[in-house]
Amino acid sequence: MFERTVPTPPEPGLPGRDLPDGLLAARAAEGDEDSFAVLVQRHGRPLLALARCMLGDPQDAEEAVQDAFVSAWRRLPEYRHGAEFRTWMHRITVNRCLTMRRHRPPPLPLDAVAERAAKDAWSQPARSAEQDAATAALSRALDGLDAGQRICWILREVQGLSYKEISHVTRSSEQTVRGRLFRARRSLQEAMSPWR
Amino acid sequence: MALDGPRTRPSEPPAADGPPFEGDQVLSCGRLLSRAWEQARDAVPAADPHALSCPHCREAAEGLAAVSAAARALRAETAPGLLALAARVMDIVRAEVRRGRLLPLSGPGRKPRIAESAAAKVLRRAADTVPGAWAATCRLVPVGAGTGVRVTMTLAAALDQPLPERVRQVRRTVLHSAGQDLGMAVTAVDIAVVDVLEPEPEPEPEPFRRPGLPDGRGT
Repeated sequence: MFERTVPTPPEPGLPGRDLPDGLLAARAAEGDEDSFAVLVQRHGRPLLALARCMLGDPQDAEEAVQDAFVSAWRRLPEYRHGAEFRTWMHRITVNRCLTMRRHRPPPLPLDAVAERAAKDAWSQPARSAEQDAATAALSRALDGLDAGQRICWILREVQGLSYKEISHVTRSSEQTVRGRLFRARRSLQEAMSPWR
Repeated sequence: MALDGPRTRPSEPPAADGPPFEGDQVLSCGRLLSRAWEQARDAVPAADPHALSCPHCREAAEGLAAVSAAARALRAETAPGLLALAARVMDIVRAEVRRGRLLPLSGPGRKPRIAESAAAKVLRRAADTVPGAWAATCRLVPVGAGTGVRVTMTLAAALDQPLPERVRQVRRTVLHSAGQDLGMAVTAVDIAVVDVLEPEPEPEPEPFRRPGLPDGRGT
């Protein structure tokens, strides 16, 4: 019942596992699946975290990231290295998540979101009930944010992207990114005030 | 929503703080809340002496503590489905493989052919065996009506030895592999160095591997 989860080990023997993204993307663009497999391994975890934050539901998140990678594979021959592969992949994933949010049924009532977040927490054995509640509250508050603010906050605080990278992913100016980030922090701070 | 009144302590040039954002406010030290948060969350620590010593900025930063703690928990969430997800992606990718054009081999009999992607994989791997060189793209084009093929390769290379010699080594190795491993009559290998990388560290001693298999060296 309790599945033990471990960090993904780098698959031994996969050629190119130490190469930089740009080189692997160039090879993958020419149809080299092995290089693409390294990119999937390298970026899968952070992108899954991104999609989970944006969609809430783990299954939806997996679907979004799967679609994003498949779409990237198809578009790689036209990928012109104008942006780093990581930034490009973030953009594809964000767009996929936005489309899925638009097309899915109306949001669950808040209790259901909290319950789901708490149920997910089985995979975090070391986390206390209070931490779970705080994380569920944060997820709820994130869900209530304006989409632009939510994306900026997730890219900064969960993904660790720089303002510049975020502005590439969201196709907006760094000043817009800073403004959205500020307003997101402001709203989240209010929502999280009971946990101070 | 506007600022909380005009700045009462214009001790810093306003330009340094940039235009205020909706809902922003001026702290008692004269800084904007948005700036204090950026310093606390996004800037290199110790980059800003004011933020380090100012109690108002510190208090403002502490206001984000609960959000930051919950964000840390979100970052630390495990992703149980990751391996299966990667496997599903690669299943789809392998089903949509792009083989490229078919190229002639120079062997006897009824003109055997090889897909460009397969030949490129072998030649890239050969180029990668040259220390300090890593193949990026590799295109192959048939030349004339015979079995000749022209190779165009881009490389990333280390600068610990002169590039011309390294490029010559790669060309020799690619030509050799084309003839030896593929039986392909390569007429020319055009090489462009498109990136510079640090030389790789000394590889760990590895168990013997049979030649012809992916060597797992990763480069």
